[in-house]
Amino acid sequence: MFADKSVGSMRQIEFIRSNTFLWTAAVAAMLALFVAGLFAFIYWKIDDYLIMRSDRMIATQLNFLAELPPGRLNDAISDHLKQDSRGVQYAGLFDAAGTRLAGNIARLPPKLDLGGPVQSIRLARIAPPTLHDPVVKAAGRRLANGHILVMGRNVDETREISIVVGQALLLGLLPAFCLCLLAGVWLSVRAQKRVEQVNRHVQRIVAGDLSERLPQTNTDDPFARLAGIVNAMLDEMETTINALAGVGNDIAHDLRTPLTRVRLALERGRTHAATLENLQDVVDKAIAGIDQSLAIITALLRLAEIESNSRTAGFGDVALDEILRQVCDVYEPIAEDKGIALGVAIDRKAEVRGDPDLLFEAIANLVDNAVKFTPAGGRVTLELASDDETARVCVSDTGPGIGVGEREAVLRRFYRSDKMRNTPGVGLGLSLVAAIVKLHGFRLTIYPGPGGQLEILAPTREATREATASEPGRSLHASLAPM
Amino acid sequence: MTRILLIEDDTETADAIVSELTERGFEVRWAPDGIGGLDRARESSPDALIVDRMLPGMDGLTVIEALRKDQVRTPVLVLSALGAVDDRVRGLRVGGDDYLTKPFALVELVARVEALLRRPVDSRETTLHAGPLELDLIERRARRGEREIDLLPREFRLLEYMMRRSDQLLTRAMLLEEVWNYKFVPATTNLIDVHMGRLRHKVDGPGEMQLIHNVRGAGFILRVR
Repeated sequence: MFADKSVGSMRQIEFIRSNTFLWTAAVAAMLALFVAGLFAFIYWKIDDYLIMRSDRMIATQLNFLAELPPGRLNDAISDHLKQDSRGVQYAGLFDAAGTRLAGNIARLPPKLDLGGPVQSIRLARIAPPTLHDPVVKAAGRRLANGHILVMGRNVDETREISIVVGQALLLGLLPAFCLCLLAGVWLSVRAQKRVEQVNRHVQRIVAGDLSERLPQTNTDDPFARLAGIVNAMLDEMETTINALAGVGNDIAHDLRTPLTRVRLALERGRTHAATLENLQDVVDKAIAGIDQSLAIITALLRLAEIESNSRTAGFGDVALDEILRQVCDVYEPIAEDKGIALGVAIDRKAEVRGDPDLLFEAIANLVDNAVKFTPAGGRVTLELASDDETARVCVSDTGPGIGVGEREAVLRRFYRSDKMRNTPGVGLGLSLVAAIVKLHGFRLTIYPGPGGQLEILAPTREATREATASEPGRSLHASLAPM
Repeated sequence: MTRILLIEDDTETADAIVSELTERGFEVRWAPDGIGGLDRARESSPDALIVDRMLPGMDGLTVIEALRKDQVRTPVLVLSALGAVDDRVRGLRVGGDDYLTKPFALVELVARVEALLRRPVDSRETTLHAGPLELDLIERRARRGEREIDLLPREFRLLEYMMRRSDQLLTRAMLLEEVWNYKFVPATTNLIDVHMGRLRHKVDGPGEMQLIHNVRGAGFILRVR
């Protein structure tokens, strides 16, 4: 019970502090301010208008009465006052000395500017009598016979209007304000509920259930869309994680093979080695096996290093023709030993943006592969063809080539064609090339046979410069040529 | 006797290194942590240091930096399980002279320590001599005694490197890094052997004493003494 209560009160505080609620409260306050401002403006405008109208009426009445023949004036004044049921009208006729002749004004106000415009002035009234002489709008004029005519009107009625306006404001604003707050509470509670719901699902994912997804309604509200986005991301991550697990298995398997050999050799050597020479043979074998395992680990780490390296700040201008010549220089004797002709054909110089060491590594790997898989008497050609926009590095050989079915597989880690099972090597060469090419934003294409043909397509330095001015980078990666 | 200080926290690795180096005639001191190692390096001024990168207390790179700040110029070989190119660059930038990634072969370690102790004569001479060999760096010509050796540029570079370090074991990794400027391990493992085979064929003519020796499982030596 107590626990429930404390959770409940915590939740209250939480929703009051929640952003949604605060925002609606702020909106409600803004609305109230705005409405109050609007009403004040309306009041001020109406007041202004009423006073102006009454001023005009006073002036008109004054003019009208002043034009009447003196004999009819007294009657006209009393008629005028009689029609005023609310008792807001003032009228008075005084002689030149200021003595009242007719009307309901007790004294001629001394401050009244005769012949001037309508002005605010205190006027004493004879009937009905008032406690204080109210301030009214009035104007006076001296007539042709020397008498003074004063007309006035009490404009205190505008105060009544203000009261009415105030009441209307209260009546309209209070419910609106409450409604706003209620909406705020509702929205924030609803948002909180959904966050909690999402949290429950996320906790399940965190706990390891990768197939869990956020609840997704078909409505078009932001929450549903967010859930959709998160679910898509989770799909992607689940695929990647599963793929990684697959790679992990591959690695384990590939390490297991040489390690098993080492283990067997050592075990047999321990029991069967009769001479020191025998034992040394065994140990040599073991070291070779361990070296192979280490080579796999080194290659994997290198691959991870390249794949995770998103920094391209160290990129500079690389002369591809130079790199090709260096690679050729390194591999010429190896090819020659195997009876393979290694040729390099460069039609013109080409500069690209990149890391020279990595590009050397990529091209060296391609040539290494080509030399390895081409039988004696064959030929490996390293070619650089470029125009103003693109540089094309092509490594082709007269070897078995890469079969249509294998073209995608060779880019995977550890893939080794059945034909190549007995060829030494780690099987990460092309994965490394693909990773380097991807890092540079170049394109790697594997062409169908006959013979092996791989191609790296890179934008030249000039093209890169133009591209960075117009579009931010290109994203090309490994692709397969049409069959 | 050449004195070497080893700063390495793994006892088994340290044991193996100490035994190997002692057998090869070095006097080796061992410090298992960075702070102790730095103190030992300051007071005993060894001829060379082998420093593991990850050490308890004070990491290896900080030790090297501290020594370099004190103007200690002792050559340092950095050992590290971090083998990425960036890690290597950082290791050399703080003042390491060479960088060896774990796991390594003991011969590799010994070869590198010896290389550090016998820095190549960075002579301004334009002609290198090693035994009967003579290398004209300006004319790009090589001779063995009276015999002119016709070398390709890459062979010339390799021979120059070997003559500057004659009578010294040069491992394949050292040659790859220094002569070919490789930042990675090539898939073809006998790359160096093929190149060396070419060079040896030209340097050691028929009937001549063999100068370039293959040390099994280790590397190559240009032996002139």
